Amino acid sequence: MRVPIEWLKEYVDVQASPEELAHRLTMAGLEVEAIEHDEGEPVLNVKVTPNRGDCLSMVGVAREVAALYGLPLRHPMPSARSDEPGDAAQYAHIQIIDEDLCPRYAARVVRNVRIAPSPEWMQKRLTLAGMRPINNVVDVTNYVMLELGQPLHAFDLDLLPGGQIVVRRAKSGERIVTLDGIERELQPEMLMICDATHPVAVAGVMGGGETEVTPNTRRVLLESAHFNPTSIRRTSQRLQLSTEASYRFERVVDPGGVVSALDRACELLQQIGAGEPVSGVVDVYPRPAQERTVTLRPERCNLLLGLNLDAQTMVDCLRRLQLKAELRDGVIHVTVPTFRPDLNIEEDLAEEVGRVYGYENIPERLPFGHTHRGGDSPDTRLIRPLQEAFVRAGLIEVHTHTLRAPGPLDDPARTPVRVRNAASEELSTLRNSLIPSLMDVVVHNLARRQTEIFLFEVGRVFRVLPDGDYEETLKAGFAITGSVFPPGWDARYPAADFFTAKGIVQTLLETVGVDEALYVPASDPRFHPGRSARVLVGEREVGIFGELHPDILEKLDIARRTVLAGEFDVYTLWSLATRRVRYVPLPRYPAVLRDLAVVAPEDLPYQQVEQTVRQAGGDLLESVRLFDVYRGERIPEGTRSLALSLTFRSRERTLTDDEVDQIVGRIVQALEGIGAKLRA
Amino acid sequence: MEERVHALLEEAIQAIQSADSTAQLEEVETRYLGRKGRVTELLRSLPTLPPEQRPRFGQLLNTVKAQLQEQVEQRRAELQRREREERLRAERVDITLPARPLRVGLKHPLTQTMERVRAALIGLGFEFVDSPELDDYRYNFGALNYPDDHPAMDEQMSFYISDTRLLRTQTTSVQGRVMEKRKPPFRIAVIGRCFRNETVDATHHHTFHQVDAFMVDRGISMADLKGVLAAFARQMFGEDVQVRFRPDFFPFVEPGVDYAIYWQGGWLELGGAGLIHPNILRAHGIDPQKWTGFAFGLGIERIPMIQYQIDDLRLFLENDLRFLQRYGA
Repeated sequence: MRVPIEWLKEYVDVQASPEELAHRLTMAGLEVEAIEHDEGEPVLNVKVTPNRGDCLSMVGVAREVAALYGLPLRHPMPSARSDEPGDAAQYAHIQIIDEDLCPRYAARVVRNVRIAPSPEWMQKRLTLAGMRPINNVVDVTNYVMLELGQPLHAFDLDLLPGGQIVVRRAKSGERIVTLDGIERELQPEMLMICDATHPVAVAGVMGGGETEVTPNTRRVLLESAHFNPTSIRRTSQRLQLSTEASYRFERVVDPGGVVSALDRACELLQQIGAGEPVSGVVDVYPRPAQERTVTLRPERCNLLLGLNLDAQTMVDCLRRLQLKAELRDGVIHVTVPTFRPDLNIEEDLAEEVGRVYGYENIPERLPFGHTHRGGDSPDTRLIRPLQEAFVRAGLIEVHTHTLRAPGPLDDPARTPVRVRNAASEELSTLRNSLIPSLMDVVVHNLARRQTEIFLFEVGRVFRVLPDGDYEETLKAGFAITGSVFPPGWDARYPAADFFTAKGIVQTLLETVGVDEALYVPASDPRFHPGRSARVLVGEREVGIFGELHPDILEKLDIARRTVLAGEFDVYTLWSLATRRVRYVPLPRYPAVLRDLAVVAPEDLPYQQVEQTVRQAGGDLLESVRLFDVYRGERIPEGTRSLALSLTFRSRERTLTDDEVDQIVGRIVQALEGIGAKLRA
Repeated sequence: MEERVHALLEEAIQAIQSADSTAQLEEVETRYLGRKGRVTELLRSLPTLPPEQRPRFGQLLNTVKAQLQEQVEQRRAELQRREREERLRAERVDITLPARPLRVGLKHPLTQTMERVRAALIGLGFEFVDSPELDDYRYNFGALNYPDDHPAMDEQMSFYISDTRLLRTQTTSVQGRVMEKRKPPFRIAVIGRCFRNETVDATHHHTFHQVDAFMVDRGISMADLKGVLAAFARQMFGEDVQVRFRPDFFPFVEPGVDYAIYWQGGWLELGGAGLIHPNILRAHGIDPQKWTGFAFGLGIERIPMIQYQIDDLRLFLENDLRFLQRYGA
């Protein structure tokens, strides 16, 4: 809200500079976001929190200023007061049908209206406060709204048949053309101001074009009402129409100020010669709001604020805010005026005391009493070791978007969760896999001429379960493209490939403590069918990785790159960890080494060869290491030669050559059983 | 005979001194001191001498042999040193050529910040818990004392999944979940991703990260809140920071404040805080007359933005490698 300081000074004699005032207000909770200078006049741009609708006016801000500086408040007391129906009742007939949405509706009537521009001083203040001058009648309604916070509306009385006003919910199918010229379809929950037959204004939001004040207007009905904030808010949202009036009504306008705002408007209209107010007011207010009493125990106030104030200081603070506070029997009784609907409980009053006394006076103290043992969350304990494993493997961590458009890299086995009110396709689903967003980052960086891209992320992914519920789980994913080692000026390395990715996967498995994993060919449209694997631990699938399918790379416009990606289920992975760290003494007896080259059919998986060797090798075979794979002229077509280095060792003694030869013999025999022959 | 020995000594010393490499020196050594070397041969001829000359002559030859051996060792050391120096000279590289790059893994700046935040709060006795990103309306707003359709929600425009499920707009959503299960006293914290359906610019994003911490105990006041925030801020930003409160409104606290820290010459707004609203305590069966508590939250991105003077929030989720390599660790 824009508050011209010159206008503010009409209600409170504050001498402070705009900067000092802005600081003081900000520190008391009315944040001044900027001090603007408009035609040389300083204007405060105040951000009012949603609970303080009472500060959405000059008098409201002045009340705060008066409290903070201990100054008197000059409330504009209208002279044209009229608490009796007087003559107005002859002109205006008001009926509230939906009292729940409109607890109070009041009207006054002005005759002999002469529509003209409003006086310069009024136009200037309106302009400084950010409103456009229109004509004297409309300007007065806006002026009073800015001054007192009560939105008013002026109807051309001659366009209201019989001066009839009916406040009711819209009937389905009803329509209205609002002041902005737009025809709007109404819904049955919306509160309307109607004449005898149909809506003439959207209550609390905007008037209708039909009854608008025009240069021909001779008689005006001024409306001042109190509406249900939630109802106004819903109507405003549904019509996508937010106005100065709806903004205030949503934040609760003082039900007690309804009539005095009318009186003030009449006074001003008369004063500027815009018309002659008819005596009296029509005020329909079936259940007047009562002033509440809230109590504050001084010791409770001190406990909450961490201060040590005496009760009288508290009373003074509250009184400065125009609250009626009295200390009786050690308890402060506060009568809360209707303009402060936010003050309901003891804690609210403690806050008011703190605000006026100054939060800067609250000391720092560390809580004492129970000792608490802090700690990481269970998820963090699973995530951090994985992050560290990836970092050890040389990968850079990214945090990618959860919200994204569906795409070809989504996990086809997981139904994506859709966002119901997404503003755009880009924000329309929750990721069901980390791979798509990791690839976004790869593409982004390739476009910026980065060539070595080794990324990982551990993050949450979502899906719809078969029963319709939603699942949120943790995945660890990576995407890499580049050379095996970063290229320098004197050496070039081969491109990272499936086996580079497998190295990352193994680092991950070792970190978790999974010793045995099975790699089986994956048939997943996202991956190269011959260069991708599902990773199984026991019977459970823990993840998938491999080279991305060339079709996908083409779609991403990076067809010439080789990109590897993979993704693992964090909870499943940890649930399968078997390794327990325990001490095993280092070997005391020497090892016996044997190299073995076997020729095997191309389609015999290495994993099977190694398993066969290990089974036949028994306990004394300590390790098997593949050190060469050869294909070529010296061996039959359709076969490959696998060179294995075997290490034998006993924990109890030195092995003899004879013993080892016997085991090697058994290994060779077993290999022959699966079609692998010792290379001649 | 004695003259011959002396002449041989002279000659051998000459040869040792003029050997120009360790290889040459070895030849010289063999020539004089080897198995068939001239000194060895002389020693071997001792038995042919008359018996009375043998002791003296033997002694002389041994002295000569020892002398030569010493000379050889000395020369060898010299030559070795020279040869090593030459080799090292030849092995010299241009040390100003660029390094061979290593592949260095890094954690994202947000991860590092979250780790620091966790360490600081754990040190203050807070126990971190997990809470879903896809949350219930009830926890995100209802349990936090938001009235239905209240303007306070304008700052928290949500991504809705269904009538009752949404992406959490604030990590504060964990409060209700914890209070359902636990009895005070407790100190709880949660850190993670939040979402708000708003337009993205340099200081706003639909996806961001927050940390929320709250405690409930006997006699907890605004002063405890200030003390804990100050201890936290000092660990994050350095010993000389100060904490300032300013009244603000959040439906789940009363009184509610915005807190700022004084850091490097200016006040920086960090987040919102306050005493947990008695309605929330009461709704979870906690008697607000016996127990009070505070809650505070702050944006994770704000911390590296302050520390490194990063001016664009979008950089964190854009993941440009040049950015990550500068701020990662």
